[in-house]
Amino acid sequence: MKAVAVPADAAPAAPAHPATGPRHHRSRLALYAVLLGVAFLIFGVDETIYTISFALNLIFLAYFVRHLAFAISGARWAERDLRAANVGFETYTPPVAVLVACKNEELVVDGMVSALLNLDYPADKLTLVVVDDASEDGTGARLDAWAAADPRLRVLHRQPGAGGGKSGALNDALAISLDGVPADVLVIFDADHEPDTTVLRRLVRHFRDPSVGAVMGRCVVRNGMESHLASTIFVDYLSGYLVNEYGRQALFELPAYGGANCAVRTSTLRTLGGWNPDTVTEDTDLTLRVLLMGQRVRYDPTAVDFEEAVSSSQRFWKQRHRWALGHQKCLRDYWRPVMKSPHLSWIDKLETMMFLWVYHVPVLCGVGLLFSALRTIGIGGPAPNTLLPLSVLLFAGPFAELAVGLLLGRVERRAAWTLVGFVPSFGLAILTISKAYLDGMWGRQYTWVKTARTGGVTTAPATSPPPPAPAQPADKPAQPADKPAQPAHRPATPSREEPRESAQPPAVPGVPAGPEPPFSFAIRPGMAA
Amino acid sequence: MIRVNTAQLAAGPPRPAFGGGRLSGVARRRRVALLEVLGATVWCIGGYHLLIEPTRRLEVGVSGAILHLFGVSGISAALGNAFIVFGPQGPMVAVLTPSCSALTSLLALSALALVVLRERSQALTGFLAAALWVLAANQVRLLSSLLAGRYFSLDTLLWFHDWVGAALNFIYTLVGLLIMIALTMHTPERAEQDKAGRHTARRPDAWARPGLGYRTELDSLPPPPRIRPVSLIHRYLLPREVSRRLAALRERSRVDYRIGHLPPDERAEAVRALAERGLAVHTATLVAVATNDDDERVLDTLADVVAARQWEPASDKRILGLRLWARAWLMRRQAGDGSAATAGAANADAAPAAKASPSVPATGTDAAVDGGDAVPQADGTPPAARLVAVTGAGGPAGVAVIRALQAAGERVLALDANPDAVGLRLAGEFAVLARADEDGYGDELLRVIDKHRPAALICTVAEEYAALRAVVPELDERGCRTWIPSAETTEACLDKARFADVLHDHGVPHPPTARTAAAALAELPGPWVVKPARGRGSRDVVYAKNRTRLKAAFTAVPSAIAQTQLTGREFTADVLIGRDGQVLTCVPRWRDETKAGISVRGTTFDSTAVTTVVAAAVHAVGLTGPANVQGFVGAPEVLDSDPDAEVGVTVVEINPRFSGGLPLTLAAGADVVAAYLAGILDPDAQLSPLTFLPGVRMARYFAEVYYTADGGPLADPLALQPAP
Repeated sequence: MKAVAVPADAAPAAPAHPATGPRHHRSRLALYAVLLGVAFLIFGVDETIYTISFALNLIFLAYFVRHLAFAISGARWAERDLRAANVGFETYTPPVAVLVACKNEELVVDGMVSALLNLDYPADKLTLVVVDDASEDGTGARLDAWAAADPRLRVLHRQPGAGGGKSGALNDALAISLDGVPADVLVIFDADHEPDTTVLRRLVRHFRDPSVGAVMGRCVVRNGMESHLASTIFVDYLSGYLVNEYGRQALFELPAYGGANCAVRTSTLRTLGGWNPDTVTEDTDLTLRVLLMGQRVRYDPTAVDFEEAVSSSQRFWKQRHRWALGHQKCLRDYWRPVMKSPHLSWIDKLETMMFLWVYHVPVLCGVGLLFSALRTIGIGGPAPNTLLPLSVLLFAGPFAELAVGLLLGRVERRAAWTLVGFVPSFGLAILTISKAYLDGMWGRQYTWVKTARTGGVTTAPATSPPPPAPAQPADKPAQPADKPAQPAHRPATPSREEPRESAQPPAVPGVPAGPEPPFSFAIRPGMAA
Repeated sequence: MIRVNTAQLAAGPPRPAFGGGRLSGVARRRRVALLEVLGATVWCIGGYHLLIEPTRRLEVGVSGAILHLFGVSGISAALGNAFIVFGPQGPMVAVLTPSCSALTSLLALSALALVVLRERSQALTGFLAAALWVLAANQVRLLSSLLAGRYFSLDTLLWFHDWVGAALNFIYTLVGLLIMIALTMHTPERAEQDKAGRHTARRPDAWARPGLGYRTELDSLPPPPRIRPVSLIHRYLLPREVSRRLAALRERSRVDYRIGHLPPDERAEAVRALAERGLAVHTATLVAVATNDDDERVLDTLADVVAARQWEPASDKRILGLRLWARAWLMRRQAGDGSAATAGAANADAAPAAKASPSVPATGTDAAVDGGDAVPQADGTPPAARLVAVTGAGGPAGVAVIRALQAAGERVLALDANPDAVGLRLAGEFAVLARADEDGYGDELLRVIDKHRPAALICTVAEEYAALRAVVPELDERGCRTWIPSAETTEACLDKARFADVLHDHGVPHPPTARTAAAALAELPGPWVVKPARGRGSRDVVYAKNRTRLKAAFTAVPSAIAQTQLTGREFTADVLIGRDGQVLTCVPRWRDETKAGISVRGTTFDSTAVTTVVAAAVHAVGLTGPANVQGFVGAPEVLDSDPDAEVGVTVVEINPRFSGGLPLTLAAGADVVAAYLAGILDPDAQLSPLTFLPGVRMARYFAEVYYTADGGPLADPLALQPAP
């Protein structure tokens, strides 16, 4: 049993992160407005709107080509990749530490821990660390019970106010729980994820290449049956992982590190000073920093874990708002270093910039739609039909990706009609992402919002969780129990065949928790020969 | 804004500039995708210019025919590519402009079908259905606009054309796309997951493509269709011979997943039966077996039948792939580590049979004469072709492990730093290494492993673990597996001062320990035993009965610690701990007589208290694998009559390796060597607990091996001559 409490004022051992810049960009917003006004004055409203619309169409055309190229690459090669034999699967097993940050994850933590304990990897090379980030529900107590039952699991408790969100929790795990622990590779999951048993071997095999700094796996939605939204997200993930992420690797060698079900080389992360606590999308941030230091990110579509999709629209848009906010911030933070990087070729820079611009394109779509609306009332030109090519470009690329995702996933054909739901979601995405853009430029402070879970579906091995210990008060982190109850999932220790009257072993003070030893291995009279 | 540290930017060398010399793989793939996109663009633009006029005329003609069919008057299609509409405001000409034609939608859909879906068998059907839909929907759009102009006004016609028509165009194109996608997708019975992402294909775990559906209870599987049109065609329309040939063609690219559900023996037989019908008949299934199966018997069978059918023409490139795979598989098997993956458990089972073989030598001397060659199994089957490396071949533990492995039918590669180490002469193959604390140990070891290719390595010297740990990944890459405890655990066992701290922290009985003479005098009752914090084999151990000798001992013994000398009876327990921390066996034995730290006479005994304390001690240090735990039992005599008696047990030290007294444990029936080897070869193996017989006694004597100065063997003059 290993459980450690981290005081709120514990100084992070990781090196200082790069300094953060200005918290808002209101002056830049004002500059854009002034430039637009000046253009209106000099060139006239109609000419300006026409020119901007033309430029927007070029941007949409570029993204359409990008999406189509990804769809083509997925359709050509991804299926073979999924079927290909594994090479050197068993023979490359560097020391690995698995890190999971949890905050109020009582509903899903048992499935996650159960899946972690079922991972196929040499036990002497695997360290499992789960960080309880000041949970206010029974998460900490459940984790302690699991840790007490299985010595492979280490639990780190953070106190309220420790800060840094997921990045802070992971940085603490790196600094405290892994201090002195040999771990060449760190594998990260989220609390609602349940990895497939082979995922570690599939992820770490790519680190044979010393130029690889991080590896991304594929996340699969496991609760598609819970709601229409969840099944739509399931289809979205098929497209995102089997086509978009695959295409980025196949055509540019530039897949993104995604924050969960992914691995990062420990030395790389330590060189970079850990995860950046000043971003809400630490994954995109780390992707950029790995690339900028001259290393590469790889993607393995066969390294699968099963995650829970949000099941209500409100949660979904909150989550996308956060993603957009963080991703847009990454563009503002990194576009200059990317353009100056000696490690990226010009085409790498082009793709990286397009990747960074992905969460700005819906904002541009909003601008385009606004201009089209103006044109219907005679401002900006008389031809509303020119909206049509724009609409086609907006939809055709993503739909091609979605179609290929469904085919690669070998999903039954009824799922095709799920795609209808993507049409209104594009409109909502424009609104949400535009709001995130304005929030980011205006400098509204974002605080981590925990994604709510349902815990309704699990793929983890059918084992019973440990009996829940009583929840600790929020201001007092849970401490490991000295004598936890034996969890139901543990295999029974070998028992003697001879029934015995005195079945209790002699009390040994302070015997550490762990698998109970049998009383004796000797063959005694009466035992079967 | 993040300010990226320039030092980080310079952490690696710049990537070679893109485009220099020949195209890289990624550039080639990019070129393929770009050519596809360009092709689609040319297809759309060229198709538009070639087909727009005929299409316009066709659509006008069809609309006119429909209007005529329904008896609508006042609209004429006589102009070819335009209509004359006699509306309330008089006649007007409504030209069917290119944007009103369905051609652009058809071209876009066909381009997508060509570049994205063309490898899918249902893509053509999907496109044709979508094209019909688009043409029909555009007719509805055209007719609506014309009727609006005919019965209302010109403005209404334009409004339909510009707004409703544009919206309809977008909607029916989208629906057409969905029709095409849906018909190209898999039917429920051919799909692998349903629309919620649940796995529906019932594929065996190892054979399923990763991540295609999560496994959960399904309410019900979709019922198969009652009527299959394809079946009807085969049954009633096609000649039997054509149908048979088509079925054979289909079978070559169909994977029979049912095989994956069979037990290994039946699977192997099924594979043999399929292959013997011809590699070209069930090629996809055979490739799937080579790709996904992980049972050695099945893979051996497949490799053998592929090897036996090399006369067969390689009519399919997948047959070449099968041959390449079989070649590599058989070469690996020949090299001796082919059975590494899963044969560990089987070997553990086979070990007792081998030990019962009358041909197994009874003494180390005989084994030396045999030269360590693999011993035939009891049933007369050839010996296992597996080679196991053993380090520390000169020590008693190494010798015991070598003999145990040979008795189990394994071939042994003995390793030691001393060229005269006796174990080198007992094994069939041997090599002399650098000392583990010298530079170059790792490189030298890897060179030896490269040469001999053992399947596993057993280390019998705990002091080598640190150097060995550094090359474990390289050993893994060479197919040589090993199993050593963590650095933290090893350190806790080798450093006696730290060991004392750990055991005291965990409440495991351990003698009070002091690190200085003053502390020992102040805190520990005498008499004392003074020993180096790091030492083995009772070297430099001093027993001090008084204060003067204690102080002198601290000056003589390097890095000394002092403990109160324990009373009671000394024991050693050989233990084997699984990777999950489960104690698989604990065989305690009295150290009736020891020489130079090695037990030369001993007796196994049974004690619940000893087992419990020993288990607590190995758990305290987090040990896995083999170990021997030494300690003392107070009032041992009660154990003779009651093994469950609560006696005082104190642990003195743990050696995280096999012990020199290992033969006694093996003789008592606990084959810890075979179980450990099984655990090395298959890290996931569920190792069974081992039992032993208490009261087994051992008396050791010296044995000799003889060899010439250049290492050649010499006969044993004392060996018994076979009867004439």
